[in-house]
Amino acid sequence: MPEVSLLQLAVLGIAVALFAVATVAFIIRSRQGLARAERIGRACFWVGTLIVVGTLIWHSADRERWLPLGDNFSALVWLALLLALFIAYMQRTRPLVALNGFLLPIVVVLLIGAGIFGRLQPHQYVATAWTGVHLVTVYAGSAAFAVAAAGGLMYLLANRRLRNKSTMPSMNLGSLERLEHLTLYAVTVGFPLLTLGLITGLVLILSDPKNSLGARWFTSPKVLLAFCVWVIYGLVLHSPLNPSFRGRRAALLSVLGFVLMVGTLIAVQFMPSGAPH
Amino acid sequence: MRRLMLLGINHTTAPLEVREKISFSADQQRLALELFRQRFPDSECVLLSTCNRVEFYTARTLEGQPGVKEMADFLGEFHRLQPEQLKGHLYHKTERAVIEHLFSVACSLDSMVLGETQILGQVRSAYDSAHQLQATGPLLNPLFQRALAVGKQVMAETAIGEGRLSVASVAVDYARRIFDRFGDKTVLSIGAGKMSILALQHFKELVPKKLLVCNRDPAKAQALAQRFDGDPVPFETLYDHLVAADIVITSTGALQPIIVKHSFEAILKRRRYRPIFLIDIALPRDVEAAVGHLDNVYLCNLDDLQQVVASTQTTRHDAMDAAQKIVGDHVEEFIVHHRARELGPVIERLQRHYHEIARQELQRTMGKFPDMSDSERAHLEDLTRRIVNKILHEPIQAMRQRGHAGDIDESLFAPHPHPEQDERV
Repeated sequence: MPEVSLLQLAVLGIAVALFAVATVAFIIRSRQGLARAERIGRACFWVGTLIVVGTLIWHSADRERWLPLGDNFSALVWLALLLALFIAYMQRTRPLVALNGFLLPIVVVLLIGAGIFGRLQPHQYVATAWTGVHLVTVYAGSAAFAVAAAGGLMYLLANRRLRNKSTMPSMNLGSLERLEHLTLYAVTVGFPLLTLGLITGLVLILSDPKNSLGARWFTSPKVLLAFCVWVIYGLVLHSPLNPSFRGRRAALLSVLGFVLMVGTLIAVQFMPSGAPH
Repeated sequence: MRRLMLLGINHTTAPLEVREKISFSADQQRLALELFRQRFPDSECVLLSTCNRVEFYTARTLEGQPGVKEMADFLGEFHRLQPEQLKGHLYHKTERAVIEHLFSVACSLDSMVLGETQILGQVRSAYDSAHQLQATGPLLNPLFQRALAVGKQVMAETAIGEGRLSVASVAVDYARRIFDRFGDKTVLSIGAGKMSILALQHFKELVPKKLLVCNRDPAKAQALAQRFDGDPVPFETLYDHLVAADIVITSTGALQPIIVKHSFEAILKRRRYRPIFLIDIALPRDVEAAVGHLDNVYLCNLDDLQQVVASTQTTRHDAMDAAQKIVGDHVEEFIVHHRARELGPVIERLQRHYHEIARQELQRTMGKFPDMSDSERAHLEDLTRRIVNKILHEPIQAMRQRGHAGDIDESLFAPHPHPEQDERV
């Protein structure tokens, strides 16, 4: 399987730069209300998104496989693209400029991660139907949780400003109610995906008794972290039923869940995949 | 000659926790004025009590009562406060400083929210109350009438009130930072006072699902609910309505908080921890401060809202200069006018005295000339009158001029600033 070429990395670097500029522009827009900053942000965002799509197609063509989950590079770029598409969706439906300022840095980090891990440590998966479902659901769930974490973090900031009675908001974060809905919505989408991802992961592990995690696979940090993430988001998902978890606590849990999720993804990079080889 | 004094407390000298302890309701204000008059019958007094200030304006004879200490004691006794509770929060002013202060207050230059118009009505109301109770007299009557005129002129001729946010509009902005939609929200107004009406006018524009008005007086609740297409609800079921409400505007005259933490925790549970926005625009406060520390409860009191409003006033500093000039001109005019009023009786007494001396001397002299004709007698009377007038002319002119120069009656028109005229007590 061909590695990521330097040219592909260079093109991806341009996308990273464009997303970074877009992040700054959107932050300026939400802090100072400059319409011009938003226009610049949107332009950079769309060009960056097109470049990412192009890079993904280019890399897939090189690999001659079109499911973009065969290695770290394509998986992380795909995850970044999912987030970028969500931002685009939000911009068209109910714009929340500040959300761009929180999500785009995650996109940038994912693309940088794709550049580093994709080039230096190629991580290939065995292409089975279960693997495909596992990877698609886990990555899509991760994208949803990134949105939930961004919503949660914004909620915490907005909540703090309200409690401090800050005279003028330095950044228009949106209302608490909207941020809470956004977080809950993202978790509602992400949780079934994660659940399916965990189940398929479990199937992959159990289907081969000689799997790389060994007999005590359930003590693997990757499995434990993934389970913790599942429990945390389960709590957030059930906050409407268990209202003492709503509001600030749900927001905190969303952020914590995403931190653990990132930890799980990192663990995946540095540990055996758990999938049968 | 009368002496002007002011003892007060305001938002710059005392936090809300202290101000609410010393504020006067309308009934308390009347009672305080009556008690004050009973204790100091020779003094005039006006009591101005608003959300941001409590000020006692008095006029008394030079040697009479009350002094600063007596006024502070009276305030403390009325509210059953220990002197140390007020220590460092009270300020007092005398003479010219009082005039300048009152005029500045009337045109909102001394307000937390520069350019707010409510203060003028509050000054008028304070003066009317005192006037009805015959607590005002020759000094406070013209002083307050002039203050009201100054306030009106400043509002009409300067841009001091332009571009100003209202407390209610700031509350709406806060609500928008909490809630996304209002079509499914319930707004509950506790109390039916002026502040509630102002707030409801703004919240009505958000088109909430339901608007409830709760008041101890069902008739008032009914009237206010009707005005805003809302529903009146009985005060006895307040806590049930707090469960349903999302935005609560409270502005009652209660002397103790009506929403306290331990009860509200139970309400929050019944609400299933839905966020609630409490806008407490009452003084003394209706909502215990600890309620605001609960999760999903957002509490704004008057100070919080006014601070936001005050932060918008930097754009009106040019108007402030113009307003200060108007105030300064009126202070000078009032002092001149008042001196003339105060000198009038003195001059009259002086003239009467000298003319009486002249008349007695004339009678004695004329008694020695029994054959004097009426015409001669009239000439002599005219002569003595002219002599007295000419003798008195220069002293009276000098008195008037010196009065204008500000040193004829130092007790009333001492130059400002004077180190002892504006001090914290």
